[in-house]
Amino acid sequence: MESNPVALITGCSTGIGYETALLLGQNGYRVFATLRDLKRSAALKKAANGLPLEIIPMDVDRSPSVKKAIASVLRKAGRIDVLVNNAGWGAFGAMEEFSDEEIQAQYETNVFGLLRVTRAVLPIMRRQEQGRIINIGSLAGKMTFAGIGLYCSSKYAVEAITESLRFEVRPFNIEVALVEPGTIRTPFKTNRRKSKVFLEKSSVYQKELERILFFGNNPPASAPGPDQVAEKVHEALQDRRMAIRYPVGRDAVWLPRIRWFMPDFLYDFVVKARYAQFRKESA
Amino acid sequence: MNPASVVLVTGANSGFGLATTQALAEKGYRVYATYRSPRKSGHLWQLSKRYRVFPILMDVDKKVSVERAVKQILKKEGRIDVLMNNAGFVMAGCWEDLSEADIEAQFQTNLFGLLRVTRAVMPAMRRQGSGKIINVGSIAGFMATPLLGPYSATKFAVNSVTEALRMEGRPWGVDVTEINPGEVQTNVVQNARMGKKVKSGTSAYTPFTLEMENWQKGRFAKGAPVEVFVKTILKVLEDRPTRRRYLVKMDDRILYTLRWLLPDALWEWGTGLMFPWSRFPL
Repeated sequence: MESNPVALITGCSTGIGYETALLLGQNGYRVFATLRDLKRSAALKKAANGLPLEIIPMDVDRSPSVKKAIASVLRKAGRIDVLVNNAGWGAFGAMEEFSDEEIQAQYETNVFGLLRVTRAVLPIMRRQEQGRIINIGSLAGKMTFAGIGLYCSSKYAVEAITESLRFEVRPFNIEVALVEPGTIRTPFKTNRRKSKVFLEKSSVYQKELERILFFGNNPPASAPGPDQVAEKVHEALQDRRMAIRYPVGRDAVWLPRIRWFMPDFLYDFVVKARYAQFRKESA
Repeated sequence: MNPASVVLVTGANSGFGLATTQALAEKGYRVYATYRSPRKSGHLWQLSKRYRVFPILMDVDKKVSVERAVKQILKKEGRIDVLMNNAGFVMAGCWEDLSEADIEAQFQTNLFGLLRVTRAVMPAMRRQGSGKIINVGSIAGFMATPLLGPYSATKFAVNSVTEALRMEGRPWGVDVTEINPGEVQTNVVQNARMGKKVKSGTSAYTPFTLEMENWQKGRFAKGAPVEVFVKTILKVLEDRPTRRRYLVKMDDRILYTLRWLLPDALWEWGTGLMFPWSRFPL
């Protein structure tokens, strides 16, 4: 009898990670859902009642924590077939005004954390000669938006990581892909950390940033929810061969394409119009 | 741009930095050329005898060093008109073969270092109501190749940082742009660092590493002379406003266009032809 494929998903307390853990649990995967703070696991624990889903602590910022979590998965399941790198958050503020520490912290989770988990899982997948890694990227990995420049840059890096890693691990029958949500109705608001300068209201960009924050906090009702991102992850896992990118939402599909053909001034105009639409829908 | 302008070039002791410093000095700019290692600053001191070139010590990895150098320039000149963020290096190795420290070192210089200098200079430029920041990216900023994953990741990120700064800087008259050179004959390959494990023979990726190394060396041996880079930099200095991105030679432009025109799968298949070890089926 073939046992269920084992999936390891990071950052499962809310949003995309939470939905993905449940969906894969319902679809025949043995899921190990990790989160940094076990105190925030109540909701997932309740929703996962009866599913083959285990919650384990993992702080992707810390090497020992990552190693310990992966060792415990191996002890319990003996293998890891799927890794979903979802853990991440978004820094908010002007590029100029982030401190060294704030920049480091953003990269520590979104980039170095993703690499830490991936690099720990790769030897296991190589031994199995089989494995799939899905990185949760973002539309922000293809286009940069004002106010979240630092976050965008971390997602750009994830694009490069995915593309280069695909080449490196292909001979071992390991596949890597990106799922790229655009604007999503997710509790990303709670996953946002504002720069100190902005919080102190001493930013020279204060007014502009307040305006951007307003739009960020009010995604249009038509935007897909985190459950649709989870479905895309599942869809990618079912594909015979994973593509590089799986965009989620109309903006994620079209904006990067439009961007390429547009001169800068026209693009700025479109972005402004899109913001205006957000304002109307949320009014 | 007014030739009396004050230019700050980071990592100016070799390669693009040195070539640019020399070219701008010949045009009469006042060039503050930073170096990290005094041992390797000889060329700069020689230039400083003939031109208005001022070598200055700066380690972009260190906050104190960056802030001290920028303060020093501002004290002497009162302004910085152009910043060229050039300091950077290549860390080579497959993702799994590199240590955490290797990867962080790559980001520390190529990305965090660039941001550190930019953040130190930006307030002065805003006060001036004018300024130009030129980030030196790479074609690896839109084309990720194996073995150069960390390098690509930093250059992809620089790409995004440029765009964000461009949006933020525009209302203040600060123009931020990026130049993406492809293979140009500098000693970037000789200066590349490699993870300890990469060539130790204990890695499962060794055959791939060797294949990729040969491929890279071959490409760089056929690279363009550094003059094509300098020519583009001079154009960037004159352009007002600048374009979002500058490429320096025709084959880079072709690559860039293909990158955006081709669907992902076709692009990957095409680039994969260059790396037989991991060739993708179409």
